[in-house]
Amino acid sequence: MEEIMEYLPIILPIFIAEVTLAIVAFVHVQRHPHYKIGNRIVWSFVVLLLQIIGPIAYFIIGRSDEE
Amino acid sequence: MRAYIAFMKKEFRELTRTYKLLIMGILFFILGLMNPLTAKFTPDLLKNFMPEAIQITITEPVAMDSWSQFYKNVPQMGLIIFAIVFSGMISNELTKGTLVNMLTKGLSRKNVILAKFTSVGIVWTVSYFFCFAISYLYTKFFWSEAVPNLFFSVFCLWIFGFVIIALLLLGGVLLKSSYGSLLITAGVIGILFLINIVPTLMDYNPLMLSSSNTALLRQELQVSDFFAPLIVSVGMIVVSVIVSISVFNKKKL
Repeated sequence: MEEIMEYLPIILPIFIAEVTLAIVAFVHVQRHPHYKIGNRIVWSFVVLLLQIIGPIAYFIIGRSDEE
Repeated sequence: MRAYIAFMKKEFRELTRTYKLLIMGILFFILGLMNPLTAKFTPDLLKNFMPEAIQITITEPVAMDSWSQFYKNVPQMGLIIFAIVFSGMISNELTKGTLVNMLTKGLSRKNVILAKFTSVGIVWTVSYFFCFAISYLYTKFFWSEAVPNLFFSVFCLWIFGFVIIALLLLGGVLLKSSYGSLLITAGVIGILFLINIVPTLMDYNPLMLSSSNTALLRQELQVSDFFAPLIVSVGMIVVSVIVSISVFNKKKL
């Protein structure tokens, strides 16, 4: 436990950043019905389960260009 | 100049709308935190997972470890994702035909290329130095020892980022597709790796700016060793931007 406390100032920001990215991507997936590839269920899982890479992959290859 | 500024504004609006700024910001933020963390964490991790019978001496982590992580993570993970994200900067506009309107209204083609180059360059600069600042603060916080030549080696990698941007731009203009632009960039980097085989050319290879940074920090290489690759890199950037402009001028939209 002591060791965790020692690393907390650095692990916490990483955790917050990962969660922020996942949430932004997840909300985007839910609000947009069309994707370049894949469907809503696939992207929801990818975005939430794959840390960092999932949301980035969604925004680069999954997101459709419509507003 | 006014057209250039207007196009820059459009670029940044696009970058926020397509979430590219967000991705870059968070990615480089996490990368910046990862370096000191992995450096600090790995010895403890090894200690905990090591079977009782095996005895190895684990050296205490130093600031150097954090920086070698930095020069491993940023060129690999950071620059590769950066290249993938921005590979479509020209081709997206060309395939969607969004440039036609602006070009017929009198925006010069030179401005398009220059504005693309500077806007992506600004994103790279900001996210890279953001990453560096975080790494620097945490490394100072954990170890508080100074590493020689640090700022110069950071500057070298920054220039190398611009080489990548210029190549992406050239690839996009030449091949009109985002895969093409990645292909050209990867191809040129591949050629640079091959050049490393020839010892005399090695000293001029721009790849040195991204691969030999830790050697510079360990003072195995001197600052003066990096002048030749720096000049070659700047030359490469200028040449590829000029070639991009001249090819784009003749390109049918």
